[in-house]
Amino acid sequence: MSLRQFISAGLLGLLASLALASNAPTPAPAAKAATSSTADHSKFKALQQSFASGPEVTKACLTCHTEAAKQVHKTKHWTWEFMNPDTKQRLGKKNVINNFCTAVPSNYEFCTACHVGYGWKDQNYDFTSENNVDCLACHDTTGTYRKLPGLAGHPTYKDVEFPPKSGKIVKAPDLRAVAQGVGKSSRDTCGSCHFYGGGGDAVKHGDLDSSLKNPGKYLDVHMAKDGLNFTCGECHKTSGHDVPGSRYAVTTVEKEGGHMRGKKDANPATCQACHGGKPHQGEKADRLNAHTAKLACQTCHIPEFARAQPTKMMWDWSTAGKLDKDGKPFKIKDSVGHDAYDSKKGDFRYESNVIPDYVWFNGKVDYTLRETKLDPSKVIEINHFNGSPDDGKSKIWPIKRFVGKQPYDVGSNQLLVFHTYGKDDSALWSNFNWDKAIEFGMKEIGAEYSGKYAFVSTEMSWPITHMVAPKADALACAQCHTGPGRLDKVPGIYMPGRHGNALLDTLGWSFAGLAFLGVVAHGAGRIYTSRKGAEK
Amino acid sequence: MVKLIAGLIAGAAITMALAWNMASGLMFKEVQSPFGLEETVARIQQNIQNTGNGWALAGLRNPAKAVQQDGGNVLPVLMIEACSTKYSKPVLKEDTVRFLSILMPCKISVYKKNDGKVYIGTMNAGLMGRMFGPLVGEVMGQVAEDQKKFLIFDASKPAPKMIEGMPGAASGGGAAGGGGGC
Amino acid sequence: MNANATERIYVFKRFERFWHWSQAALIITLMLTGFEVHGSYTLFGFEDAVNIHTTAAWSLVTLWVFAVFWHFTTGEWKQYIPTLDKAGAMFKYYLTGIFSHAPHPFKQTVLKKHNPLQRLAYLGFWLGMSPLIWFTGWFYLFYDQWAAWGLDAYLSLEWVAFFHTVGAFMILIFFIAHVYLATAGHTPTSHIKAMITGWEDVGH
Repeated sequence: MSLRQFISAGLLGLLASLALASNAPTPAPAAKAATSSTADHSKFKALQQSFASGPEVTKACLTCHTEAAKQVHKTKHWTWEFMNPDTKQRLGKKNVINNFCTAVPSNYEFCTACHVGYGWKDQNYDFTSENNVDCLACHDTTGTYRKLPGLAGHPTYKDVEFPPKSGKIVKAPDLRAVAQGVGKSSRDTCGSCHFYGGGGDAVKHGDLDSSLKNPGKYLDVHMAKDGLNFTCGECHKTSGHDVPGSRYAVTTVEKEGGHMRGKKDANPATCQACHGGKPHQGEKADRLNAHTAKLACQTCHIPEFARAQPTKMMWDWSTAGKLDKDGKPFKIKDSVGHDAYDSKKGDFRYESNVIPDYVWFNGKVDYTLRETKLDPSKVIEINHFNGSPDDGKSKIWPIKRFVGKQPYDVGSNQLLVFHTYGKDDSALWSNFNWDKAIEFGMKEIGAEYSGKYAFVSTEMSWPITHMVAPKADALACAQCHTGPGRLDKVPGIYMPGRHGNALLDTLGWSFAGLAFLGVVAHGAGRIYTSRKGAEK
Repeated sequence: MVKLIAGLIAGAAITMALAWNMASGLMFKEVQSPFGLEETVARIQQNIQNTGNGWALAGLRNPAKAVQQDGGNVLPVLMIEACSTKYSKPVLKEDTVRFLSILMPCKISVYKKNDGKVYIGTMNAGLMGRMFGPLVGEVMGQVAEDQKKFLIFDASKPAPKMIEGMPGAASGGGAAGGGGGC
Repeated sequence: MNANATERIYVFKRFERFWHWSQAALIITLMLTGFEVHGSYTLFGFEDAVNIHTTAAWSLVTLWVFAVFWHFTTGEWKQYIPTLDKAGAMFKYYLTGIFSHAPHPFKQTVLKKHNPLQRLAYLGFWLGMSPLIWFTGWFYLFYDQWAAWGLDAYLSLEWVAFFHTVGAFMILIFFIAHVYLATAGHTPTSHIKAMITGWEDVGH
């Protein structure tokens, strides 16, 4: 066989095998991803039916998972309420007024798109209903289940254009397929709410956004898709539907260094819960471990937040309501294409790769509640992180400081609840009238309103704890120990390289300088007199 | 005598150390930007396009992205590349100075530092140019004049959109297509 | 210089010279890096400065262990016993006599190689500056152990660093005077030569 024949024969063979392959029956639809689960939900009779609504799915789930709804009922995800045992403040989404979208009351239908339930459209919601628990929000694996704002926590049951007038169509999920495909919660399911807090992707936290669905190693060393590939639940180790880890009552200091997860009734979501209290190894271990006495791990290991996409840093509601010359609401984009102004919401500022602020933090947070009396001449802290260098319970933490302006009652000096969204003529986003929106909102919660409002400057602190960078990117010594240093504004620490005693320095260098001048003069004298001597 | 020589050597050493120290300050300039990173880039890009004299954007590089793809982090840095055939042509035509094409296209770097502030880094084209004879000196002098205009901002104007990639070419300021660059 | 009549004596033994010069190098290194860690300038970079400072400090500790051993086994420690005898004369010499080429008031011998002012200064170094710098340096270095030692309630890093810096400035001033006075021997280079070769020219 000549070379040529050999090649043509080979080519023929190749073609033949290709032809055969194309004749072969098409493979069955992709088999389900390998899972260690002992149950295949598609085989369950209860799920082999068409579902017209979310609650119908839940009813089917509960036929086997009899206790699930009762468990969910006890959680913040369901109640949107949290009693802080330390401060005795009644918190939770239902009660807190923040400086993003401000308040839930009077806007339930919109906000409850992120409630693990169905049908919360006003304050008369039945929190005892088991069928209204939304199992799919957290257990969907198909990626097709989506709750839209305005539907009071329901997914859309027919294809709709969303956002309105955007030309984008959101398809109604096939509830039967979604129900048969349920599984463990994932970065996608947790993220479907937590990545979009504050009204959009990356807006609220700065360390939680949609880039964590599939993060690179640079962004999150734990969740990296080609690395450890952690889900949220890997750290927020959940039992009985109660997800641990709270930003209302943060675990800032692990008193005994580290602990073994599961052995102790301690927060499993802290760094120390896996890494222990002396996490560093190698030649610099002692010095680095010594730093853990005062520094939270996050301070060095999350050197910047919002590293994949910009987060909102400022929201000024006071400019909301401007209309263009045709009387229509409008938007102005910033240089990256994010909203810099929106008639509905006011002025914004986004920033990426933000260098955090650093504060002493002991985990205790005091909120400015609706009832709290304000001093409107000052910047109001929506939440105050307590801590001090001397209380023995604090560490230096990185935070995102979010600033803004929002309405308050000039008569009572209290924050106001206003009606942003609704199909009525009082909603701010429909008619751009603050008076009506505030009146409606305050009536909804049954609180008094003097009738006069103004805007007050506010700021809110967010602990930075996600998006841990690879260890090579942790802060280097010089980033704090030489100026301008990261911790320059943190009180109560002596920082070698930054905090030398100025008087001692002045005196020391002066005396050294004098000594030097003294010996130079003495030496010059000797040279002079020896010359004279030589001349003689 | 020994003292004299020692003194001369010490003097020369001090002068050299000073020159060494100041050289980078003379050849490169760094100023703080009053705007955020992307807005600074967008405003400089707009200025470049409004300067005339044949100036066009040649690309926008993001070296931080490459580090990210490698699994690491650096603070953001964006490099604006701009070019004008009016200035590149005479230099590229002259064999003795064609090697200066390594300085093309003109670059302006915008970056964030540890203090959280945004800085603009530029090359001192005028000074560099004078090192390479009258032709280059004159061209670079004009480039330097134009470069100054790139950095004059009018904060009262709204932030323009940042232009990523290069108009008229594929992307990222690689190969220079017909439209942009030189 | 009236070096017409000189006598040579062997003052500094081999170990002593080794000790002196390595100690000099280490102390210069410690000062350079120490003032950088203090924040006075940037030279090596903070992290490297800390590492070099720590390494140099441990090297000096080791060197001193040998030096102390040597001093006691050879009896050389007696060289540092202070005396006020002729101290006034020495002082007067540095103040005036040295300019008029008056004879050096101190006759160096193998048994008395340091003049009375040197003895006082070195004693000050040994008993004043050096304990100050070592004590504070030790606590500075082992900052992370304070709690384990039960001392965290009694020490503050700020004051430890303060006194460490006080010690550093004292040593810097000592260093300036010491380097200069090395030229104030029988001839400007006689002390320095002696420290290198061991042999010193001593005038009559």
